[in-house]
Amino acid sequence: METLSSVRRPVRELRPGDHAWLAYSGEDEQRYVVGSFVRDGLDASHKVIYLAGSDDVDVPGMNGTPPRSGLLTVVPLEEARRPDGGFDPGTVLEALACEIAGAEGGDFGTIRVTADMTWTLDLPDGLTQLLRCERHIEQAVCPSTRVTAICQIDRRRLTADARTALAASHSTVVTPNPEFADSVLQIVRTFEPVGLSLLGELDASRHMVLDQALNTVLTASRGEEIHLDLAGLGFIDLGALNMLADVAARRSGTGPLVLDSMPVQLRTIMETVGWHMLPGLRLGTV
Amino acid sequence: MTSPTLAAGVAPRPLQHRAFLFGGMDDFLSRAVPFVREGLDDEDRSVVVVVAEPRLSALRDLFPDCADDMFIDASAFYAHPVRTLRSYLELVKREHPLRVHALAEPVWRPEWTARETLEWARYESLINEVFKDTGASALCPYDTFALPPQILEHARRTHPRLVQGDAERPNARFAAPEDFSAEVDRARVFPAPHESEYLPVTGHDLHELRRWVGERSERHGLSRQDAQNLVTAVNEVAANALVHGTPPFGVRLWTEGPDLVCEVGDNGYWNTFSPLVGFVPPSSALENGFGLWTVRLLVDLVEVRAGWDGTFVRMRLHR
Repeated sequence: METLSSVRRPVRELRPGDHAWLAYSGEDEQRYVVGSFVRDGLDASHKVIYLAGSDDVDVPGMNGTPPRSGLLTVVPLEEARRPDGGFDPGTVLEALACEIAGAEGGDFGTIRVTADMTWTLDLPDGLTQLLRCERHIEQAVCPSTRVTAICQIDRRRLTADARTALAASHSTVVTPNPEFADSVLQIVRTFEPVGLSLLGELDASRHMVLDQALNTVLTASRGEEIHLDLAGLGFIDLGALNMLADVAARRSGTGPLVLDSMPVQLRTIMETVGWHMLPGLRLGTV
Repeated sequence: MTSPTLAAGVAPRPLQHRAFLFGGMDDFLSRAVPFVREGLDDEDRSVVVVVAEPRLSALRDLFPDCADDMFIDASAFYAHPVRTLRSYLELVKREHPLRVHALAEPVWRPEWTARETLEWARYESLINEVFKDTGASALCPYDTFALPPQILEHARRTHPRLVQGDAERPNARFAAPEDFSAEVDRARVFPAPHESEYLPVTGHDLHELRRWVGERSERHGLSRQDAQNLVTAVNEVAANALVHGTPPFGVRLWTEGPDLVCEVGDNGYWNTFSPLVGFVPPSSALENGFGLWTVRLLVDLVEVRAGWDGTFVRMRLHR
């Protein structure tokens, strides 16, 4: 979506040397992806360096348990504030570089760095500042055999040109971990719109995992429409239509389940069945 | 069965389903015009005219004030028996609480095989079951000058009342839908193919089966949509066999003239089988019977054979 030149990779598949970016649509997506990154890192005893807006930030992925001493370092953005109150990207980068260097001196196998860089866009000539930061990080991370980095940026703040420029300055686009993946089907959460993206083939052997993933989304949702992005779906069985209609019926009153980007042959099958047979399901974007 | 449009607490409204045996245009109009007018004059009814040319144009000219979408060309509407039934069902649901008042002329094509003609007759018969409590009124014209005696005989077997000349009378030859359907089933033959391919289905993951059917559909010249329809239908029947049937399970595929045929078999005996199974539409995907009903929509012909030697579902698509 962001670019054709970047590699898209689920957060759990990031490797040392990857300088990835996450163009999040809102806090839910940001916490979901960054939470996986932080949690997996701490579980594997990786060093995690988290650039935060303030000292007492609620780091995602902590599950309420404090990490082993020394594993997690929070670098407050406040420390980069100049005496006149402005921010200085140079200071921030210096603080980050210092933490990375310190960690490299330790016995951590892998160092995970993540920072929400959206604040740079508030600076005068923000995009230029951001791209300058990104170049510094790129130079620090890419040759490394130990550092993995995710730069987070609020997608709502980006113009199309800014996206292109950011894509060019990162090797990888990070995506959420799939809720489920086997050789036939992959289910990935989406956040804008809220829902799931399905890739591959959906059949009776996989109804259970879709039901679980849908329940996860429904639990996290705030009553908004739930969308299923079916652009990558090659097959859907009739039992799955029955199951989706059932899910829609269970949450009646909160809006339909919307089926987006349905491949034409699957859409024709739905039309043959007749939408009146499928209460609570609606065709979204084609 | 509960009627698709019957709300709880509302008294059922019986269906009127009459065959209208006419000869020539004047005879046709002498009955068809008052029937349409009767519907238009009743504010409780919604009129639809599904007849073939030249009768369609003749009627349209006589009702110049009526909306154009009230007139539907039967030769396009009667293209696939299950889909035609579905379209009538959609119409009845859409117009509810108005009662559908339909001049509904089934189309009979001389090039059809006896088998195809029988399947259409089966659907005329099913109308009695599917719409029984909807209060719909259907007058079904049969052209006695043009249609062969066999088809006029079907008309008498599938409509509880007959209209001819000035007279309307109950029809003693009428057969209940279940009996008629069983009769149609008895007339079937299941020739074994000379040459076929066979895939045993051993596990519960049907990915390999779909790939197998998809590849062969393409090789035998089905369009991409027909291939997707067949794969979906075979997958559904096989998934159902795996749940309810008895091993061994397998799929056989062959060509027969212009048709591609695919048969899913298992060794189980379907002891609750009824001649109406999968013919009566469920009211939604949430009801039992949605699977087989939809399979019938997706391919050209489905034949279920439930015998002591096993249960076999044969699906056929025109290439």
